[in-house]
Amino acid sequence: MEILRNLGRRKLRSSLTILGIVIGIFALTTMGAMSEHFNVLFNFAEEWYSSSIPVGSPDGQAALQPLSKIGEIEKVDGVAAAFPGYSFDMKPGQVTTVSYSIPDTIVAYDPREAPYEAVKTSIAHGRNLTATSRREVVLGTGVANEFKKSVGDGIDLPVRPRDAKLDFVNHPFTVVGVLHPTGTVPDSFAYISVADAQLLFKDVVPAFMRDRVDTTTVAEGITVYGRPGTSLAGLDRIADRINQQVPGVKATRPSDLVSSFRSGGATFTAITTAAAVLALVIGGLSVVNTMIMSVIERYREIGLKKAVGAHTQRVLREYLMEATLIGFLGGAIGYALGVGLTHMINVAGRSSNLELFLVTPKLTAIALAFAVALGALAGLFPAFRAARLDPVLALRTTN
Amino acid sequence: MASIELVDLTKHYRQGKTVVRALDGVSLEIGAGEFVSVVGRSGSGKTTMLDLIGLLLRPTSGKVLIDGLDAGQLKGNRRADVRGLRIGFIFQEFNLLPALNVVENVMLPLRYTKSNVKDGRARALELLEAVGLEDRARHRPDELSGGQQQRVAIARALVNRPTVVLGDEPTGSVDTQTSQELVGLMRWLNRAEGVTFVVVTHDLDLAGRTDRMIRLSDGRVVNDEPVRQAA
Repeated sequence: MEILRNLGRRKLRSSLTILGIVIGIFALTTMGAMSEHFNVLFNFAEEWYSSSIPVGSPDGQAALQPLSKIGEIEKVDGVAAAFPGYSFDMKPGQVTTVSYSIPDTIVAYDPREAPYEAVKTSIAHGRNLTATSRREVVLGTGVANEFKKSVGDGIDLPVRPRDAKLDFVNHPFTVVGVLHPTGTVPDSFAYISVADAQLLFKDVVPAFMRDRVDTTTVAEGITVYGRPGTSLAGLDRIADRINQQVPGVKATRPSDLVSSFRSGGATFTAITTAAAVLALVIGGLSVVNTMIMSVIERYREIGLKKAVGAHTQRVLREYLMEATLIGFLGGAIGYALGVGLTHMINVAGRSSNLELFLVTPKLTAIALAFAVALGALAGLFPAFRAARLDPVLALRTTN
Repeated sequence: MASIELVDLTKHYRQGKTVVRALDGVSLEIGAGEFVSVVGRSGSGKTTMLDLIGLLLRPTSGKVLIDGLDAGQLKGNRRADVRGLRIGFIFQEFNLLPALNVVENVMLPLRYTKSNVKDGRARALELLEAVGLEDRARHRPDELSGGQQQRVAIARALVNRPTVVLGDEPTGSVDTQTSQELVGLMRWLNRAEGVTFVVVTHDLDLAGRTDRMIRLSDGRVVNDEPVRQAA
């Protein structure tokens, strides 16, 4: 209570000091929430590519693979299964220069692939696709929210652009399931059967080639799985063997992809760290300044406390608590403002499936602990100065 | 047993290359319940002696015994404990904490001596009644006059039931009439509580109303005699 009253006695200075920490922790929270969002995406990608090998066309060739390659690949030592891959823009024609989220995508899904997938999704409403599914779609939660679709609703895929040409083709699908939110890639996906994907694939083949290509015999790529428990290095070796033994394909080493995603994650972690350092500099210096001023102004008060029996450690503790409280108040306000702003932006972006921020319990703990630690650390020097004051000199100081 | 005993007490300071003999071999005894004034010119060693008795300074040599305890040799927290439990302080500038109200200021020493807060509050209110400020318990110090603030400081000095109260020019910042009221109050509390009072003062009216006057000059006791009270 005395600490609050002391802060209240110097309202303007206390407010400015707290504001310094508010700005720092606000920056930490918003940047951290963005970093957490991207880290979840990177972690998903890292986990995904730690369990499968993407196989495509050799460098410089169009992304088109005959399905017969699947059989050849499955003969390679260590390969457990291989599946054709197709993916399409869900909103073709959309102009996107810089994207901060995964674009809405239609992907082919074969139920037999489920046991091999490292990243599991689960159905929140309805059911999953089956081996015989036709014109059925399972939506990720972000896509379902964006198009306001639920189980039983119809949706034409791909979604017709406003300025679509006359020859634009899409197909009616029925929503049979909606996934639980994952906070990552599957939220932006619409899953259809391989047979339906081949139907859509025919639509994306240029018109002059359409009659010359049998889209039921080709795929955009092939996803290869190793036997359960295969390590990343083991998958790399399988990728090398595929490149040596199967002509006309290019298997990418999973470790190359994983390290690429890791470096992407490290960039965002660096942004968070930079925000934290900014908070440290701005907030910390203002707390140091306030507490030093506070100690100087209260020399006689400190002298009195020591004269009436206060131990050195007790004086140290009182001043540290004051600095810590400043840190906590600034941190709590900054964190609340940061969470408020990120929530508002996320809600505004939900209609276009653009959620940029993710406030996690880890981020909450870091922001508040950082603010408290910052206050305590910045208060350490002034508190030591107060605790070591000679009571005789302190009592006779004229302010 | 003497409440305070000083044995060949010396305090020397170094100012550049010069050694200042602030107190130079003072020996004296002050009995329990005495009201003693210490007078002398500025620089005579009065405040140094008070600070040594109050364990705020360490002697260069000699002893300070409080209730028979050689307190001058105590270190760190033990010195603070003796100050908190056996000594009360009254300062010229009152030194009340502006963030605390009157009763909280009186209770301040209890915070550092692990006293029972409930009992301490009752004791603080009892002392505020004794100094005539029971109706100001929840006021802020800046809402009181100088004389009232010093009365709060006197109550604070007594809240821990100390054996010794040390006053450093306790009437130095108030007008003559208030000064006389404060002297009367301290005198009454000295008798009512049985507490030893040692006050350093330039105020001869105050010194004349104590039991004994000690005069210092150049760090030595030059006169120490009972005060003849006016009938």
